[in-house]
Amino acid sequence: MKVITRRSARTVIGLLASLAIIAAVAGPAIASHVDVSVTNVGEVAVGETVAIPVALRTTNGTPLAGTVVTFYLHMAFAGVEGEAQIGRVVTDASGVASLAYRPRLAGHHELRMEYVAAGGTDIESTTTVIEVTGGAQLYHSPAGVDVPGVGVELLMVVLATVWTILFWVVLRIVAIARAGGEAGDAGLEARR
Amino acid sequence: MAALDDWQGRLEETALGPVRRTGRRFWAVVVILLAIIGWGGYAYTVQLSEGLVVTGMRDRISWGLYIATFVFFIGISHAGTLISAILRVSNARWRTPVTRMAEFVTVVALVCGASFVIIDLGRPDRLLNVFFYGRWQSPIIWDVLAITTYLTASVTYLFVPMIPDLALFRDRLAGRSSRWRGWLYRTLAIGWRGRPAQRRSLGSAIGVLMILIIPIAVSVHTVVSWIFAMTMRVPWDSALFGAFFVAGAIFSGIAILIIVMAILRRAYHLEEYVTEKHFVYLGYLMAAFAAIMIYANISELLVLGYKLQEGVEFHFRQLFLADFAPLFWFYLLGGLVAPIVIALAPATRNVRGMVAAAILVTLAMWIERYFIVVTGLRVPLMPYEPASYAPTWVEWSLLAAGLAAFALLITVFTKVFPIIAVWEVAEDHEATAAHAGAGEPVGAIPVAGVVVATAGPRLAEEGGR
Repeated sequence: MKVITRRSARTVIGLLASLAIIAAVAGPAIASHVDVSVTNVGEVAVGETVAIPVALRTTNGTPLAGTVVTFYLHMAFAGVEGEAQIGRVVTDASGVASLAYRPRLAGHHELRMEYVAAGGTDIESTTTVIEVTGGAQLYHSPAGVDVPGVGVELLMVVLATVWTILFWVVLRIVAIARAGGEAGDAGLEARR
Repeated sequence: MAALDDWQGRLEETALGPVRRTGRRFWAVVVILLAIIGWGGYAYTVQLSEGLVVTGMRDRISWGLYIATFVFFIGISHAGTLISAILRVSNARWRTPVTRMAEFVTVVALVCGASFVIIDLGRPDRLLNVFFYGRWQSPIIWDVLAITTYLTASVTYLFVPMIPDLALFRDRLAGRSSRWRGWLYRTLAIGWRGRPAQRRSLGSAIGVLMILIIPIAVSVHTVVSWIFAMTMRVPWDSALFGAFFVAGAIFSGIAILIIVMAILRRAYHLEEYVTEKHFVYLGYLMAAFAAIMIYANISELLVLGYKLQEGVEFHFRQLFLADFAPLFWFYLLGGLVAPIVIALAPATRNVRGMVAAAILVTLAMWIERYFIVVTGLRVPLMPYEPASYAPTWVEWSLLAAGLAAFALLITVFTKVFPIIAVWEVAEDHEATAAHAGAGEPVGAIPVAGVVVATAGPRLAEEGGR
């Protein structure tokens, strides 16, 4: 009986320990000695800069200043999935690390924030989600040397000049048709 | 005077001949060309359904046979510009029998060339992205604008000098051809009666067009070259590319014109008008441009080789010694040196010699376009093994279909429109006769630097009826 009780107790302890390890590894924000709060930014548009604030406090409510928070974005590109680091911010005196983020793609963006609480050694993390709408093209290459007067306008002027001359030629063709006098008759004949 | 009338009558009959008579050989050619185009159509449906994976193009060598052929076709489209515009501006009278053919080649080559860009896209609907999302800063947009403008100007330049000849067809074929032909010539002749006001308008329109089309043509091939030169690739890193491409374009344009001239001359018995002199003169021009190309190659390769920036050594090895060496040496020796020798050697300075030289140049210039495109992309940007590219049956089939479409459109054109600029040839003949004291110029009115003879006195008579 004693053996059975001992074995049962060991099994229960083992299960509990396993659960504790799983929870520590896989839990979204198991900050045993840190309270984390992420403000939900909701829906934003492509190209719009949004602040993602993460507030860290000790369990007794004291702000955790000077903690480095690293922000990761979950991405999938060309068949490869993974996390891309999008920024690192240090928490201020009120324990808030706020990342200015400008989403470049529409869709469901999953962000993970990682930090190591002061005095601790374990990496802890939390997650948030941003819904991004719109389809604006963001990339605009800057001109290397901006020479006044040399740009798209010049291209348009040249193009407009060429097409104006071509239009003038069309007017000459119309003049030929009108001078013929019988162009209209030819059209009538054709219709008959 | 009677001799002049007889000569003009023969000229008109020769011009009308292809429209009046259609033999079995013509239909056989059409059927063969349609079969090749049909096969190309099948290959294109395979590409459309399975994607560009059926071609040899991949991520690293993403341009191949299609873009090389596009550049080649845009190049040969310069035939019309050179023969018709430059020689017209310089008042080279010998040009008159071949101007129309050169203008046909221009328009048809542009249409065929532009279609290869769409084929290269894989998904043709994405062409619309150029208009929806195009950016003025992109050489692709400049290219679309330049080619569209050139095509419009070329069609106009083909049409305007043809008006008197279309009127000739309208009058000569009235009641003797099918209804659609009658309608077509009546409509396109736009009431031409050879009246002084019409001649003035025609002269000024041709005068403006012949000047305008030269810078447009130069801009087209310059912009095509910039698509390469403005890409960060070592072999394309050259300020010479624009001039190099324009020279190459005129060079290949002359070659293809000589070939087209030879075929049409034989098929429609144009020996009296398209003589050996025309082939030899064009051969001289071709030799001159071959010399320019040799100079451009030396300048390009010497500067690159002297500096030997990273990647250039690999590029030189692939051109001179390795994978592309046979093609490159054929281009240099067969396409640039041999045509000069053929054009200048007395023994080969004849129609056959010039046609042989033109065939060599045409092959060499297509090969040049091919290795410019492929070798440029093959140079590794990072320390990995160079990629390889080999065109697949789909690409070869579409190339064959493109060439067949070019030949078919030229063939169809010759059956519908006057292949000789009758009024220009007549005017040239009359001027020559007048100069020789054998007759007086008839009906020739100098207008804006262009003498417009209104398709000779016969046309004026037709107009008077």
